[in-house]
Amino acid sequence: MNVTPEFVSDGLRRARYITNERVETAVFLALALDKPLLIEGPAGSGKTEVAKVLAEMLGAELIRLQCYEGLDEARALYEWNYQKQLLRLQADEHRGLRWEDVSEHLFSREYLLERPLLRAISSPRKVVLLIDEVDKADEEFEAFLLELLSDFQVTVPELGTLRAREHPVVVLTSNRARELSEALRRRCLHLFIDFPGLEQERRIIEVKIPELDAQLAADAARFVNALRKLALKKPPSIAETLDWARALLRLGVTQLDASAIRAALGVLLKHEDDRAKAEAKAGALAARPR
Amino acid sequence: MSTLSAELLRFIDELRLAEVPVSVAETLDAMRAVAAAGLADRARVREALAAALVKDEADRASFDEVFARFFGTGAGAAREAGRPGTHRRLAAAGSGRGEAGASARARPQRAWPDATPHGGAPPSAPPPAKAEPEAPGAKAPAASGDSTPRPGAAESAAAGGGVPKDAAPRGERVPQDNAAVEASDEPGIDARRQAALRSARRAPFAAYTGLEYEAARDALAPLARRFRLRLGRRLHAARRGRVDFRRTIRASLQHGGALAELRFRARRPRHADLLILADVSGSVRYCSALMLELVAGAYGYFRRVQSFVFIDHLAEAEFAGGHVATEPALDLYARSDFGRVLGEIWERRSELLSRTTLMVILGDGRNNRRPARADLLRDLRGLCRAVVWLTPEPDERWGTGDSAIHQYARAVDALHRCTNLSELERSLERSIRAVF
Repeated sequence: MNVTPEFVSDGLRRARYITNERVETAVFLALALDKPLLIEGPAGSGKTEVAKVLAEMLGAELIRLQCYEGLDEARALYEWNYQKQLLRLQADEHRGLRWEDVSEHLFSREYLLERPLLRAISSPRKVVLLIDEVDKADEEFEAFLLELLSDFQVTVPELGTLRAREHPVVVLTSNRARELSEALRRRCLHLFIDFPGLEQERRIIEVKIPELDAQLAADAARFVNALRKLALKKPPSIAETLDWARALLRLGVTQLDASAIRAALGVLLKHEDDRAKAEAKAGALAARPR
Repeated sequence: MSTLSAELLRFIDELRLAEVPVSVAETLDAMRAVAAAGLADRARVREALAAALVKDEADRASFDEVFARFFGTGAGAAREAGRPGTHRRLAAAGSGRGEAGASARARPQRAWPDATPHGGAPPSAPPPAKAEPEAPGAKAPAASGDSTPRPGAAESAAAGGGVPKDAAPRGERVPQDNAAVEASDEPGIDARRQAALRSARRAPFAAYTGLEYEAARDALAPLARRFRLRLGRRLHAARRGRVDFRRTIRASLQHGGALAELRFRARRPRHADLLILADVSGSVRYCSALMLELVAGAYGYFRRVQSFVFIDHLAEAEFAGGHVATEPALDLYARSDFGRVLGEIWERRSELLSRTTLMVILGDGRNNRRPARADLLRDLRGLCRAVVWLTPEPDERWGTGDSAIHQYARAVDALHRCTNLSELERSLERSIRAVF
């Protein structure tokens, strides 16, 4: 497949993912250079969405590995299907097989439970592998990922080394709950997705919620943008902006004024302090600049 | 291509000088990235280089600055460095402002640093103030540039009709360039927040004032959550590890005696008590307050937690409502005397210490030349599970002046350095995890 920057930007647009040059270039490079893409940024800024859109764009399957504390190889890579092996042993009990015969088929692919990483590697077609919130996993797991990410191969002692036939497109996301290791960063291309600018956010709202009045969408984008500039504990994300815009739609709001803002502010701000701060300034924030 | 890669290498050199860490592998990536992205679009090349080279958003500002200086508007710093390649590049880029943009459209891709994708746009927008003072400087080496044009420029000169014309769209590139900078950096709200948090975590305690302390407390919240989480993980039941024989056999009864389900032994949490001793004399007090706040999140994992602060004698401390409350009140202007504090603990040892106690001491070990009493500390260590010393002083200051840290170091199980917030968290976690 011949990847061009235009192919990527068209694909993103067709998947209704509004973005900027930065994201487009990084995604293009990830495809062109066959390298994993590490995406960082605040929660709800569309990191995971990039992987989904990529899969849609390439017409490939999306394989997702959600990371969490204590995630280990058995959950991420493979596990022997112990129960099935045991059943097989019991079924074979009376056939008088030699140990060699038994051990040969007991440790074959049939008894292997494929977890996301192994599935991504052994898939005959190109897939998109999303390793979500890699910062939540332990450092040991991160180290284990390194082999996979640089060579696209894994070693199962009983089966030997499995090499990917088609290199998967790997997307890692991180919320920076902890610093990722230098080794991991070095192997990846890096993309930081920040909160969108005013214009970009307006377009996102328009594309995702076309029913919303254009003027209201612009006002909403401006309000959220102004809100982020207050020193809040948790600035609202794009996902929350969209929820909020939907809430405005359902509430039948036609004009964004202080009372309309108060009505649905809970969708946007999840901390009581933030809410109080925003409510105090609701009128000023909602006003259109002259 | 070799000209380009040499150019890129110099660019990466500049990046390293600006303290953006770039490895050799990343250099190769950058070359491949530029080759893949093509040179037609300036903004794209910048983003391609950023994706390959900048692995931490906090470094992005430095990158943008170096990029603008190296490939774009600036002439000053690079010219002073006296690199011939830079001269030529800048010469090609730096003259003939205000000419028609027709040549830009006809220009081949090789000459990228001069090329602009929107060559036809009218140069109506005034160049921003940032670029203004540098523009005259850039014109200076133009004469030398004419005599030694680099290959790319020569080609484009042939296509566009003369070097001066070739460099024509400078006037319009500048605003467009800056528009691109704004497009990518204007939102930067979270990037700024992250950078602020990171610098708060790395600011040395020694340089703290009240202001830094407040910033550090803001940065502490996510840190404390993480700290709690990671400690908690140690106590989760194991999903693998040692097989619990009895429970496995019992589970097998459901399957007619086949060992279909393995049961594992949970890691048994060891009971532990925590005793904290924190020096709150002038030089160390910020560090101590932050430590007490951080540890407050981990109280749940200990059977009993006692925290004390000291200067020249012991006082019980409690972290509540963002402040450290002491009982009895301490004379904050006293001179620290850890030897005496050790004596007090020794007298109360039966009440304070047990075989399960982890004693964490935070202090700089500066005793104002009073008796260090490291022997007492050694004896106390014999009574508890472990004694860990955290010092907020950098290594090179250990043992200088009135520091008795080396004497104490021999009497404790571990001595960790914690000169800033992230080191403090790491050493605390290490010390606490060691006892579970």
